[in-house]
Amino acid sequence: MKRRIAIFVLLVVCTGMLAGCWSKKELTDLAFIIAVGLDKTKDGKYLASFQVVNPGNVAGATQRGGGAAGVPVSIYASTGDSLVEASRKASQKLSRLPYYAHTNLVVIGEEVAREGLDGVFDALERNNQFRTTARLVIAHGHSAQDVLTVLTPVDKISANQIIKTLEFSEMAWGQTMNVDVWQVIRDLSSPGRNPVVTGVKIEGNPTRGKRQTNVQSSVPDARVSLDGLALFKNGRLVKWVNGPTARGVVWVLDRIKQTNVTIPWNGKQEAIGFRTVRAKTDVEAEFKGGRPSISVHIGAEGDISEVLTMVHLNDPAVLLRLEKELDRHIENEVKQAIVSAQRVRTDVFGFGDAVHRAAPRLWKKIQNEWHDRYFPELDVTVTADIYIRRTGLRNKPYMEK
Amino acid sequence: MLFQWGMRQQKKRMDVKQEGSDYSGEASDVPQEPLSAELAVNIDIIRQKTGESSDVIIRRFALGQKWQIKAAIIFVDGLVDEKNVYEFVLTPLLQASFPLALEEKERFQWIEKKLAAVGGVKHISDWGKLFFELFSGATVMLIDGTPFAVSASTKGGEYRSIEEPQTQIAVRGPREGFTESLRANTAMIRRRIRNPNLWLETMQIGTVTQTDVAIMYIKGIVNDGIVKEVRERLRRIDIDSVLESGYIEQLIEDQTFTTFPTTYHTERPDIVAANLLEGRVAVFVEGTPFVLLAPAVFIQFFQAVEDYYARFDIATALRFLRVLIFFISLVAPAIYIAATTFHQEMIPTQLVIAIAAQREAVPFPGFVEALVMEVTFEILREAGVRLPRAVGQAVSIVGALVIGQAAVEAGFVSSAMVIVVSITAIASFATPSFAIAISARLIRFGLMFLAAMFGFYGIMMGILAMILHLCSLRSFGVPYMSPLAPFIPSNAGDTLFRVPTWMFRERPRLINQKNIVRQSGDQKPEPPAPSRQEKGDGA
Repeated sequence: MKRRIAIFVLLVVCTGMLAGCWSKKELTDLAFIIAVGLDKTKDGKYLASFQVVNPGNVAGATQRGGGAAGVPVSIYASTGDSLVEASRKASQKLSRLPYYAHTNLVVIGEEVAREGLDGVFDALERNNQFRTTARLVIAHGHSAQDVLTVLTPVDKISANQIIKTLEFSEMAWGQTMNVDVWQVIRDLSSPGRNPVVTGVKIEGNPTRGKRQTNVQSSVPDARVSLDGLALFKNGRLVKWVNGPTARGVVWVLDRIKQTNVTIPWNGKQEAIGFRTVRAKTDVEAEFKGGRPSISVHIGAEGDISEVLTMVHLNDPAVLLRLEKELDRHIENEVKQAIVSAQRVRTDVFGFGDAVHRAAPRLWKKIQNEWHDRYFPELDVTVTADIYIRRTGLRNKPYMEK
Repeated sequence: MLFQWGMRQQKKRMDVKQEGSDYSGEASDVPQEPLSAELAVNIDIIRQKTGESSDVIIRRFALGQKWQIKAAIIFVDGLVDEKNVYEFVLTPLLQASFPLALEEKERFQWIEKKLAAVGGVKHISDWGKLFFELFSGATVMLIDGTPFAVSASTKGGEYRSIEEPQTQIAVRGPREGFTESLRANTAMIRRRIRNPNLWLETMQIGTVTQTDVAIMYIKGIVNDGIVKEVRERLRRIDIDSVLESGYIEQLIEDQTFTTFPTTYHTERPDIVAANLLEGRVAVFVEGTPFVLLAPAVFIQFFQAVEDYYARFDIATALRFLRVLIFFISLVAPAIYIAATTFHQEMIPTQLVIAIAAQREAVPFPGFVEALVMEVTFEILREAGVRLPRAVGQAVSIVGALVIGQAAVEAGFVSSAMVIVVSITAIASFATPSFAIAISARLIRFGLMFLAAMFGFYGIMMGILAMILHLCSLRSFGVPYMSPLAPFIPSNAGDTLFRVPTWMFRERPRLINQKNIVRQSGDQKPEPPAPSRQEKGDGA
């Protein structure tokens, strides 16, 4: 009996040994791909670039061996008819297993974006390692590879630099948006909404940006910066919007957290600055005689951030007038954004979704023609309701005599 | 098939129980022969049986008006209080005039009267009893012409005095700990529970050592079934020696093949008193400060004595912390192994890159790295525990170097691993009960193996198996995981939480079964209601 039990236990242990460890991957055998770039070659193939972290050279993580001598990331590029093929081909150059679970950024070259995103994301979404919560940006005027090769000074890994810039810029300025891959996939497959993606561009010289010297200078030769929003239609990039127009898009999408709006006052341009602290946008579909129309209502509150002219901020009547002016200003910004989207016939605001929610049956009939026929002629009412909560730490500007 | 095997084993065990019940407390190698009537013969026998040991003192003297009756007292040097022997045994006998013509029974009564000052006078007629009394610290008196001996209790000698306990130290709470003297230990409990219902049963276990073992309980609170079970299990013991309560523990525990302790041991009298009041049985063993408590439940090992002295919110927070600590000491290295070899996606990007950078120079796989470090640490700890104090310091210096920067710099391990090992070590030191900390120590290695083979899946399997095993354990018939499984709401207030003292209405139901109510309800302290006078003043 004891013998039998001993054999039984031994067998159990053996099965453990046999089955175990098959998916084991040591950290030193993995190439952490932190960002993926996608471009097209001249012969129509995909050119995939992989930004691989060089762990030994990431500041803070260094213990010994190399230190800050080397560059923190390294780019591997390869071509193929599909993203997967390119990725598999890259293993000819990589000494480690590519590992996508920490891929936080996908950069699409402008050329690829103009030709169409269809089919690009399938490989990413299907892969069990890749996370669709990775951020997506479009390289504006450059190839994705160029963007990924620029070395960045503060956040050593340039993918992290771009991601954090996206995050904090959306939070503080509101002219760009932090868009995840899954959001773009969702918008691409939704008939009532088209994707908007933030663009990045290289300021300076991309060739010199690859060198270590780029991060050794206080004014780098090349910097990656966010630049505008790319509006898509049928999966193709059709238009870039910038500045206040871009912010108008962000307002409608209810993604504004904090931003600064300057309004003219006393005949002086850009005289008073207003900083929003809280903002909320409601989009509702209405129907007039069977035709849909949209009302966009923006509610925001915030503080006066800057005053460059004479104004009596301790007078409530003045504040009310200021609020009115701010309402008007923001309404204009938003209207401008809507008009520029209507001009290229792409509903990036999700107005179609609002109509879908309000009148599902009607939507079924019009959804195929939404972007091209209904949206460009859509009647959109924009109302803003701004409330000045505080005037900052002082009332009267010091210029006042 | 396995089930049938278990049944058969159980049957076998039951047979053994019946066989083992003819227990006798007498030392087997000393025959129960009667004493001789002649003093010289008796003394010769004693000399011969004890191998003329030098600490067995035989003092001859004579009784009667003309010193015509030879007599002797025998005692063991060091076990008796010599002052008592001479002042209260020898002197009264020498000063009295011994009546010659008395009968055997009357002689004994006469001696008993004379020795009233010492007390504990016993009539001995066989050798077995004589030696037992002698080595228990009694003084034995032999008189020529009488075939019996008289023993008088003169226990004494040197014992370690009552000191602060070395384990289970509390910031607030009594400072005294048990000593090696059984009597001093039981007295410490008597002092705490002044109630005639505090019962004590003493027996001798160990065929050679004849060690005093006492079970203590509070009649009326304790579940009689458990007392009976403890008594039965102690009776069944047939061993040559009992040198520590650990011997008893291993012979009476429910399950041998488990890393979890199914009896609780402590050297704090306040813990014993508290557990007696909950209806547990305490087993005292002569010669050790560690007292056993049965039945034990899992959560008991997380209840530090101070939980009950501190206020409930603090006690609850610390209780949570301790359970967390137990889990950390159990799974920390396993999680490190699993996360770094299977689930790199679970680690935040920055951290995984940092760990990867540290691992660049380490040639071993994560599992080997963890194993090397854990084993090194266990070696250091073992060395630190066993070594004399003076050398211990040297070990800790070397240890700090090995587990510290040097190992990292040499490229043996990564610094993340050092942190994991340190956290595990500190966590296992912070577990209030050493018994449970040491079982976590063993299981930890098992979980590390599982983590190396199956990743988090393996860890979950291991923990699941551990919980199943814990739920299957019993301690003297009480489920080990109670009152969590089976869940008993009225006792759950002293598990992960420690409710305020005024809410402790009930004793553990499964342990007690009968006398459950501990105190009256509605004892919540409240400030007195404001009187009308004050109200008027306020208005």
